Amino acid sequence: MDKLLSGRRILIVEDEMLLLMTIEDVLADLGCQSVVSASTVDNAIGLIDGQVFDAAVLDMNLNGTSSRAVADALAARGVPFVVATGNRDDMWDGFRDRAVVRKPFKYDELVEILMRLLPGRSSDG
Amino acid sequence: MSDEQKDAEAKVESFKNKLGPFVVAADATRMAMVFIDAKQPGNPIIFANDSFLSLTGYTRQEVLGESFNFLMAHAADAEALAKIEAEFQGKSDGGSEIRYRRKDGSEFWAALFISPVRSEDGDIVQYFASFIDLTALKQEQAHSRQLIDELNHRVKNTLATVQSIVWQALRATPEAKAIQEVIEARLFALSRSHDLLTSKNWKSVGLLDLLNDALAPFVGGRAGRIVITGENIKFWPQAALALSIAFNELATNAVKYGALSNDSGSILIEWKMDPTAEGRRIDLRWREKDGPLVIPPSRKGFGSRVIEHGLPDELGGTVHLDYRPSGLLCTMSIPAPEASGNG
Repeated sequence: MDKLLSGRRILIVEDEMLLLMTIEDVLADLGCQSVVSASTVDNAIGLIDGQVFDAAVLDMNLNGTSSRAVADALAARGVPFVVATGNRDDMWDGFRDRAVVRKPFKYDELVEILMRLLPGRSSDG
Repeated sequence: MSDEQKDAEAKVESFKNKLGPFVVAADATRMAMVFIDAKQPGNPIIFANDSFLSLTGYTRQEVLGESFNFLMAHAADAEALAKIEAEFQGKSDGGSEIRYRRKDGSEFWAALFISPVRSEDGDIVQYFASFIDLTALKQEQAHSRQLIDELNHRVKNTLATVQSIVWQALRATPEAKAIQEVIEARLFALSRSHDLLTSKNWKSVGLLDLLNDALAPFVGGRAGRIVITGENIKFWPQAALALSIAFNELATNAVKYGALSNDSGSILIEWKMDPTAEGRRIDLRWREKDGPLVIPPSRKGFGSRVIEHGLPDELGGTVHLDYRPSGLLCTMSIPAPEASGNG
């Protein structure tokens, strides 16, 4: 069946284990081909260097560390992403026009944003 | 030493001689101080004590004769210039916070206090300016802001985690979708209250701000149907959280069964402060009208428990739900928070 996110490869960078698992499940339920996750800046950058992603979900703050370097790596490769944050109104300079979800957020809202960010549906999708 | 400097030094000497012990005291105090000539344009500095020199990193020669504002970090900062002018005019009573720049380029905040020095005829001949270094205070404020942000970050992650636990627990049960939505709506309301408290540094929250915030998610597409009027009376955080939760329950109820469940109903929320023998009280009315005919619920749910029992316990007041056929009326009578003000 042709689900909403069929064939998509999504990267999730998130340090809250249960939230990470749930986002994985939500995206897998919608047909994502692969959902890959990282919980540290180094792991995330390693994955971005080695694989191609259609889109990413990026937590701004990984265990007290800013994940700005991951945002830069994604931007450098043209991978669209949505930023997840617990704070009300902070965003890195240079990324103020990026999509943001404020924790806790509706999973439907996250999916809606990802759909909007993804490039046109691939021919095999 | 140039003639100009010699001239400035000589002026300082004569100034010291004239004011005598006062200047000796100004010289010795640990508070940074300068004297300014009121008779010359640009308010030149004619005396600076050692504390001022160690605060700013300049030598006495570099400071004397300079315009009073030469130390400003942002010379064109209109707001700061207005504050300094108000100090000169004696129109500021608490001192003004100004950002200054040391000789080495580093910036610091100082509270500035200016007083006129009058001659026997009452003319202002000099101004006397003192500076309190606010560096430590500003660092302290930034640090506590950081702690509050960190706390908020933790709270938000915890709420997001609770939300995922609920999602995971109910995932295999499609008919539980409604339960999941009810829980999520309450988690989101709690999350918004935390945002509001965080934005106020967890000090206090105004009733008007609190209501606008709590009802914001319900306003979408219903412009003009929710009217909120009253003063922004400040509540302490714990009470603000309880009120937020209660208003969220009332609004949720209105969407499901009340004035927001059809296309024409509206809600008027108003309050006033009442002086009584036992002290000031706030009388608040949440009045719904033009909704569907109201039928009192056969059993009371979590929402009405929060409103009728939880809230009065928290605030030490009384709360009453009146299921009038024409529209729900919720009345609250709560003691005004101590030292509550507007703003």
